[in-house]
Amino acid sequence: MKIISLDTSGLVCTVAVTEDDRLLSEFSIQHKITHSELLLPMMEQIKERLSLDLNTVDAIAVSAGPGSFTGLRIGVATAKGLCLALNKPLIAVPTLDALAYNLYGNENIICPMMDARRSQVYTGIYTFVPEKESEDQHEVFYKMKTLMPQAAMSVAEIADRLNKIGKRAVLLGDGIPVYRDKLDDLLKVDYILAPPLANRQRAAALSVLAAEYFRKGKLADTDSFAPEYLRASQAEREAKEKKARTVKIREMSAEDITESAALEAASLGKEAWTEKQLLEACTRDDTVYIVAEKAGRVAGLCGVRNISGEGDVTNVSVSAELRNTGIGYMMLTELLKKAEGIGCRDFTLEVREQNQPARKLYEKLGFVNEGIRPNFYDDPDDNAVIYWKRNTND
Amino acid sequence: MDNNHENIKRRTDEDGVIFMSIKNEQTEALQESKDEDINILAIESSCDETAAAVVRNGREVLSNIISSQIALHTVYGGVVPEIASRKHVEKINVCVRAALSEAGLSLDDIDAIAVTYGPGLVGALLVGVSEAKALSFATGKPLVGVHHIEGHICANYIEYKELEPPFMCLVASGGHSHLVYVKDYGEYDIIGQTRDDAAGEAFDKVARAIGLGYPGGPKVDKAAREGNPDAIAFPRAKTSEKSYDFSFSGLKSAVLNYLNQAEMKGEEINKNDVAASFQKAVVDVLTEHTMEAAEEYNCKKVAIAGGVASNTALRERLEAECEKRGMTFYRPAPVLCTDNAAMIGAAGYYEYLKGNRAGMDLNAVPNLPLGDRERRYHGRSSN
Repeated sequence: MKIISLDTSGLVCTVAVTEDDRLLSEFSIQHKITHSELLLPMMEQIKERLSLDLNTVDAIAVSAGPGSFTGLRIGVATAKGLCLALNKPLIAVPTLDALAYNLYGNENIICPMMDARRSQVYTGIYTFVPEKESEDQHEVFYKMKTLMPQAAMSVAEIADRLNKIGKRAVLLGDGIPVYRDKLDDLLKVDYILAPPLANRQRAAALSVLAAEYFRKGKLADTDSFAPEYLRASQAEREAKEKKARTVKIREMSAEDITESAALEAASLGKEAWTEKQLLEACTRDDTVYIVAEKAGRVAGLCGVRNISGEGDVTNVSVSAELRNTGIGYMMLTELLKKAEGIGCRDFTLEVREQNQPARKLYEKLGFVNEGIRPNFYDDPDDNAVIYWKRNTND
Repeated sequence: MDNNHENIKRRTDEDGVIFMSIKNEQTEALQESKDEDINILAIESSCDETAAAVVRNGREVLSNIISSQIALHTVYGGVVPEIASRKHVEKINVCVRAALSEAGLSLDDIDAIAVTYGPGLVGALLVGVSEAKALSFATGKPLVGVHHIEGHICANYIEYKELEPPFMCLVASGGHSHLVYVKDYGEYDIIGQTRDDAAGEAFDKVARAIGLGYPGGPKVDKAAREGNPDAIAFPRAKTSEKSYDFSFSGLKSAVLNYLNQAEMKGEEINKNDVAASFQKAVVDVLTEHTMEAAEEYNCKKVAIAGGVASNTALRERLEAECEKRGMTFYRPAPVLCTDNAAMIGAAGYYEYLKGNRAGMDLNAVPNLPLGDRERRYHGRSSN
C-alpha cells in the first residue's frame, strides 16, 4: 500500500511517501518560506527522485487539524486536489495524534503542544501500551492510547491535567519553546523535551498512522472534508459574545412562571414541570431560581434546592434558538454563586446520557461524572448520568 | 437592454451556501469538441465565491459553477476573510467536479488549469491556488496564473464573440476601480485608478449608513430607482485636470455629513433620494472619465467589467454616452460581472496562448498589480 502524506499545519512543511513497511521518501523544511511555495515543489522533487507514477498511489493522507488556519487549508486543498485528479481516497489524521506518533514505543506520557496564541495550546495526551498477540510470542506491538483527545486549552489547564496524571511526560511541538518557562513553573511532574528528530510534525509518522486508518477503512470524504480548526473565527467568536451580552441573568419572579413553564414544556417534553410546580418551587426559602431574559422574554431558566448542604440542580433549559451561545454557562454560574448564599456547599444533578451539549456544559463548570442510573429516562429510553461538583473535602 | 438570457440552476445547501450552475443559450447549442480545441479548467476563490468553470477556446463556456457564500457574510456586514476561506476549502472539490461533469468532460480532456492568484484575500486565494497546483501536478497539465481583474475584463470576450482589442474598459467592483486600456490580448495599461475607496466599497459604506444593509451595490441600485437623482447635490471629485484617477472617499464623507446634519436638525431623510443622488454622483464621474479616456485613446469600443458593472444606472448612462459618440458599448451579463471562474478561463486561455506558465511555487499575491509580468510568478505573500 503506497501513501503520499503531507502536513502543513505548523512551522514545518513535510511530505512523505510510504509503501507498506518502507519509507520511500521524507522531505521536511522548517524555514521562513511559506508552505504554499514549498509544498508542491517538494512533491515534484520526490516524484522525480522516486520516478513515482502517481497512479500507483493508494491514498493521500493529510494532517486534519488543528494548526495554523491558513497552513491547514494549504495542506487540505492540495490533498483534496490530488484525490480528485487521481481518483484516490483521502485519509485525514488528527494533527496531534500524528505528532504524538513521532514517539512510537515511548511508555511515558506523551504531550504534544502547538502554539494556539492567546496563551493557549492545541494539545492532547497520549501513551504507548505494549501488546502481544499471544502469551507465548516474544514480539511486542505498541498501541497508541489516547488519554485526552486533541483540544484547545490554556497552558495552565494542560499542565494541571499532566500533574493530575502524575507521571513523567515527554513534551513536543512548536508550543514548547513558546511556553517553556511557564510550563516549567506549572508542572509538578518530571518532563522530557523531545529531541529535534521528533519534536515537530513529520509526514512519515502521519503516513504510518494513515496506513492504519486505511486498513480500518477510516476514510474522509474527498469532497466535503474540511479541517478541524478547534476554534471559531474571530468574527464568529465576537458575534457570539455580543449575542450573549444582550442577555440579562436575574432571579425568577412570579411574573416569569407562565413563560418559564412554556419553555420547559418545549425543551423537556413530558419531564417538564407545570406552572403550579414551578411557582411552588421558586417561592420556597431553600431554593434559588434563575432566568435568562432576552428581548423581554424568558430564554432560559435553572434552579437549585438546598437539601442539607447539597444543592440539587433542576429545571435547566434554554430556548432552542439560543443554545450554544453561552447562556447556559452564564445562568448556571450565577445559580451556583447564589446557591452558596443559602448554604449549598456541594452540587449534584442528573442528565440524559445522550445529551452531549448539556454534559459538556456541566463538565466545563467543574461537575464530575460519578455514576449512571440505568434506564432512568424513557421516551426515548436513556440512562441518567449523575454529576457532582464537590467543594467540601471528605 | 440587458442580456439576461442565462438559465441558472440554483440550490441552497444546509450551511446557507448557494450553489449555482449557469448555462446560457450558447452553452446549450454547443458544437462537438474538435482536436484543436483548447479546453481550460478555471478556478476562482479570491473573495467570497468559490467558482470553477470549463471554457473552450477562451470564449465558449462549457460550464460555469459558482458557490456563493453571501448569506453567511451578510450578518457581519461584509466579507469575513476567515469564514470565506473556510468555506472555500469545503466547497472547492464540489465546484471543480460539477464544472467537469456539466461540461461533459474529464480531466483528460483539459488542456490547462487556470487559477486566480491575485489580487484578493490571501487566505481565500490560497485555497484555489493550492487546489489548482495539485490538479496540475497530478495530471501533468500546465498551470496558468490569472489576474482577477484581467479575468473581469475578459468576461467581455465571453459575452461578445466578435470583440477584439484594443478597447477601453472600466473595471469597477467592491475592491477595484480601474480605467484600463486593453492594447492587445493580455496587455493592459492602467490609465486611471481609485486613490482611495473602490466604487463598490463606497456603495457598501453608503448603503450601511442609510440602513440598506449588505451587499450595498444592488440595494442602492434598487432604492435609487424610487428616488430623485437631483434631490441632493453631492460633489463630483476631480483628482486633477489631466488625471483619469478616481476618488470616492470625499463623496462618501459628503453623504455621511449630509446624514449627520439631517439628524441634528431632526429632519427626516429620504433614503431613496440619498441613494439616487449618491449613485448619480458615482455614475457621473465613472462615465465622464471613461468617455474622456476613450476619446483620447481614439477607441471606438468601450467595455465595462466587475461587480459594479451590473449597476443599471451606470449601464444605461454609458450606453447612451457611447451612442452619442458613435462608439460600441460592451457590457457582460450581470452573472458574468460578479466573481466567476468562466472569466478566469477566458483570461487564462490568452495567457496560455502566449506561453505563460506558472510553476509549482505559484503563490497567492493579495495585492498583485495589473499587467505586471515580472512579479507574476514570483510573488511572495505571507501565510
